[in-house]
Amino acid sequence: MNGKKNIPAGKRLLELVRNNAVPIMFIIICAIFIPMAGFSPSYLLNEIVTRMGRNLFLVLCLLFPIMAGMGLNFAMTLGAMGAEIAVILVADWQIWGIPGVVLAMILSIPFSALLGFICGTLQNMAKGREMITSYIINFFINGWYQLIVLYVMGAVIPIIHASIMLPRGYGIRNTVSLLNMRQCLDDLLAIRVAGVKIPVFTFLLVGLLCLFIVWFRRTKLGQDMRAVGQDMEVAKAAGINVDRTRIISVVMSTVCAGFGMVIYLQNIGNLPTYTGHAQIGMFCIAALLVGGASVEKAGIGNAFLGVILFHMMFIVAPGAGAFITGDSMVGEYFRVFLSYGVITLALIMYEAKKRMAKSKAGQELAAAQVKKEDA
Amino acid sequence: MSEKKDYNYNSPSKFNDEMKTIPPARWPTELEKAQMGTMTAMVSSFGLPRIIISGFLLVLFILTPFVGVDLPTQITNIINRFSWNAVLVLAMVPMIHAGCGLNFGLPLAIICGLLGGTLSIQLGFTGPMSFLMAVLIATPFAVILGGGYGLLLNRIKGGEMMIATYVGFSVMSFFCMMWLLLPYSSPTMVYGLSGNGLRPTISLDGFYNQVLAKILHIKIGNIEIPTGSLLVFALLAFLMWAFLHTKTGTAMTAVGSNPAFARAAGINVDRTRMLSVIMSTWLGAMGILMYQQGFGFIQLYNAPNNLTMPTVAAILIGGASVNKASIPNVIIGTILFQGIVTMTPTVMNSAIHMDMSEVIRIIVSQGMILYALTRKTEGAK
Amino acid sequence: MKVKTRRVLFAFLLVLVLVAVAAAMMVIGRGHTVYFDNKTLEDYQGQTYKAFEKVVVTVKDEQVAKLAKRDRGMSIWIGQNFKMILEVTREKGGEAEIHEIDLKLPYSVDGIVINLPALLAELPEEAWFSEFVPAVTEEPAEEVPGEGDDFGLGLEGELGLEDGLGDI
Repeated sequence: MNGKKNIPAGKRLLELVRNNAVPIMFIIICAIFIPMAGFSPSYLLNEIVTRMGRNLFLVLCLLFPIMAGMGLNFAMTLGAMGAEIAVILVADWQIWGIPGVVLAMILSIPFSALLGFICGTLQNMAKGREMITSYIINFFINGWYQLIVLYVMGAVIPIIHASIMLPRGYGIRNTVSLLNMRQCLDDLLAIRVAGVKIPVFTFLLVGLLCLFIVWFRRTKLGQDMRAVGQDMEVAKAAGINVDRTRIISVVMSTVCAGFGMVIYLQNIGNLPTYTGHAQIGMFCIAALLVGGASVEKAGIGNAFLGVILFHMMFIVAPGAGAFITGDSMVGEYFRVFLSYGVITLALIMYEAKKRMAKSKAGQELAAAQVKKEDA
Repeated sequence: MSEKKDYNYNSPSKFNDEMKTIPPARWPTELEKAQMGTMTAMVSSFGLPRIIISGFLLVLFILTPFVGVDLPTQITNIINRFSWNAVLVLAMVPMIHAGCGLNFGLPLAIICGLLGGTLSIQLGFTGPMSFLMAVLIATPFAVILGGGYGLLLNRIKGGEMMIATYVGFSVMSFFCMMWLLLPYSSPTMVYGLSGNGLRPTISLDGFYNQVLAKILHIKIGNIEIPTGSLLVFALLAFLMWAFLHTKTGTAMTAVGSNPAFARAAGINVDRTRMLSVIMSTWLGAMGILMYQQGFGFIQLYNAPNNLTMPTVAAILIGGASVNKASIPNVIIGTILFQGIVTMTPTVMNSAIHMDMSEVIRIIVSQGMILYALTRKTEGAK
Repeated sequence: MKVKTRRVLFAFLLVLVLVAVAAAMMVIGRGHTVYFDNKTLEDYQGQTYKAFEKVVVTVKDEQVAKLAKRDRGMSIWIGQNFKMILEVTREKGGEAEIHEIDLKLPYSVDGIVINLPALLAELPEEAWFSEFVPAVTEEPAEEVPGEGDDFGLGLEGELGLEDGLGDI
């Protein structure tokens, strides 16, 4: 193989572009759309900072399964569901403010851990197709979640306040107001700079998670996970309990997603009981992919970049769409289309690249064979 | 180069080989049957989830007179809904046979059908003619879009299911924009006030509502049978069966079960797969038109998405697997699934006055798909 | 100690710590809404306690309510020890008296109504304390969530995109 120095600069640039095509594409899209949408820079900055605070924790928790080789964890919504159940209970018990948030996080742990365990076990039974399995598990557990929140809560699980229940006496209402928790993490240590509110404490929490991830990668468990992600057979030969490590990675991801969801909900200030978690998985995965991550490799930088780019696109696309076509509804559908399109594109490019690499490897192997035979 | 391995330890989570890891459905071999007890043998032949679901359905049937639900109406409903959905489930068969996996990209096919239907109304056809025109207009769309889809799938062998899902979403959201932007003008279809953009639901009264169902409509006692629709389904099913026995059809099956052998035998794998995708897309377009004529409405925007999961679940309940499906799978699966979907709300409502049907439907259909995905591979028992 | 025992012990300790923190949060974080009534208390043990001319209520250094006769004010409070500062003018043209009040709020009650005249007359708790029961508003017949639409049958609303994705 030629050394990197021999590859001409132009080709290297091409390769750089090809490897990072998705983020570059998004930068271009945003660059085009921002002037079209006509928002003021301070508004944009404020929105981006808010959304970063809200979503970063959730996106970061996707890193664990990717490390363990389980691909994109579409089932991180399980953690979100666990958090929602915890939040409903905390709101019902009238625990407000920061203690409420802490309590919700602690309470979400058993739910998230259990759901993560189920998900990990099922994925272990479906080795080789974890992603589509996690995709279906998401819907499956959603059914159970709806069963609990719509029928069991209020009837079997005691809910004190009738105001959050449906008029028929059991089941939770469509939205549960979290007014008393609203923004409490964000307001703690908030800094206002030039019309932009920076939720310092929330970012501190995100930073803590980043530090944790970095530290974790160096621990034995982290190394085990990476080994499993690289090559399950080799890891097994090395004595690592592959199944257990995979389950642990999913559980960690789900529990972190639970925390992330609590942060998300306290920022929004109310809980849309039945739809709150529905798109979370998809959008977080889209954001991560936009940041240049791939199915088998993702880092903290990808998460940060991805959240910024993806949400920027999300904010300005409706305005740009209205600018181009005159109908704001078109703009809204347009941003949905872009979100899905980007995931599709990222998945396709990843797959195509792998086939190219595989066929190239195959060709090289064949060439080496021929050479060996000739010699 | 791509030998069939049980599962690829080397790339556990990659799209690659996702497909090859899924075992074809098979009856237990004679040896295995001899080793199990007779009960276990029967159960494993038929499939545990199918037994559970059939049992559940049976229970619901038995309960009907006790809870005051009118059985003939339910049976009529089930037959009706079978007639609407069967062709959609049939559309899964070609792609499964060719090894392209479960067609999670069904929205693409549905949109071809929607284009056919809306354009036929836009061009002013009414009555049964509008149905015929819808079929005719949908066909070229199905061929073109299916061809493109097939090209894409050929480039990403192994990762079809996941990518199909997202292609379906992308196309559907693209068309959400299109329904607003395309210059439709027929007054029955567009928004009244602005005149721009199609309404989300378009009534088919006066067009092709019930147009097939009314043909040779039989009424036995209180049970009504939409013979026309059932005949169309039977025709399409027969054509499918016949096709699978032709040379091209057998080639398709070979490509699905053993691509290496197929390639060695000189079959053009890519072309066969492309053909299967086009067939699937066309059948899907037909399927949604059948659904619409039974249901009575055209549903646009995000509605195509709601049909994918039930259809996939239906064929899996019928006993298909990710690379093997047969016509009996289609029939049994659709009956069972639609049976559950019809009976659960009514019986539950009358029995315990609680309508859990939506939730049960989700759990049953997703659970079924999950079961199919997590079945142990052949060698690793 | 063997590695396994240590691990189990750590796990157990961690769970214990979490439970303790959770319990602490439940106590610290209990939220109450406190209502103040400047209302004449009639006929308590034969005595009538008149409302004040004006009461200014300050909670956490922020003026929360300025009550004339028969007014009601409210404030939210997190925790069990409620502190407020009352600036009371008993009669018109009279002098303002400053009272610092420390109250222990009962845990199980969400909304607490305090009758200020009775409180300042240092009557026992049952005189000035009552529970706030919100008027049960008749909810408009809400559609039960999670059900399919009226066309009934083949559509699952839980998949895919809801129109207008809202905020993420």
